[in-house]
Amino acid sequence: MTDDRLKALFAADEPPAFDPAFSAAVIGKLARRRLLVDLAGLSGAAVLGGLILWAVWPSLEPLVSHLGEGMAPVAACATLAAAVLLSLEGRVTPRLR
Amino acid sequence: MSPGDIDRALVEAAQAGSTAAFSRLVDRHQKAVRAFLRRTCGDWATADDLAQETFLAAWSRMDRLESGASVRAWFCGIGYNKHLTALRSRGRERARENAYEADRPAAVASMSEERMAAERALATLPADQRACVALCLAADFSHAEAAEALNLPLGTVKSHVARGRARLLEVLGESE
Repeated sequence: MTDDRLKALFAADEPPAFDPAFSAAVIGKLARRRLLVDLAGLSGAAVLGGLILWAVWPSLEPLVSHLGEGMAPVAACATLAAAVLLSLEGRVTPRLR
Repeated sequence: MSPGDIDRALVEAAQAGSTAAFSRLVDRHQKAVRAFLRRTCGDWATADDLAQETFLAAWSRMDRLESGASVRAWFCGIGYNKHLTALRSRGRERARENAYEADRPAAVASMSEERMAAERALATLPADQRACVALCLAADFSHAEAAEALNLPLGTVKSHVARGRARLLEVLGESE
């Protein structure tokens, strides 16, 4: 009897069994946290990549310059082809979507 | 499929990285966690903030939840630690909070005399005793489950529940 009375008093504090606003708030914060973690990871990777490139650039530069001269026409063609493919996406190659 | 089996399946999926599974765990256990924190904090808005923080912390610690452990006890345990941390960090703001509490007539006015008395009695209990009462008397946790959630010895939980119950009944003018 006494426990029932206590339980009845406590029942007034009960939230609803399911509160969509609460769930949405939790999931929203979770998504934001994941986004921040992803951004931090990507930023770190970008900074690390930049540092590595900066460190190896003196030894890499002659090779890149040499390759660049020969690859310029190929790169131009590849860029043009990619632009055409992207502009036609959805009409010619629906699988790319 | 029993509720325990559903929880286990959802926990496994959440541990594998499924936010959808975790979202279902939030849906299933939000009531228990929010009710527990409302009873331990006394302030519903703070309790709901802590409940949200609880689920966020749980997500990042999913890998620590052992297979077969009570999910609601685990959530409540994280919530209890959040509550204790908030209590410690807010110690300096106590005076300001008391003033805020005094300015909340709407919440108190809607309570019956009996509830107000119980609320006041609950507020006088130490945090761990209050948590034991909130879990075992209000939320039907077993003593063992409460001990697991609060990381307290079983005997301590039993004595906290008995003392808290006696205190509340005394305030309500009932004798055993």
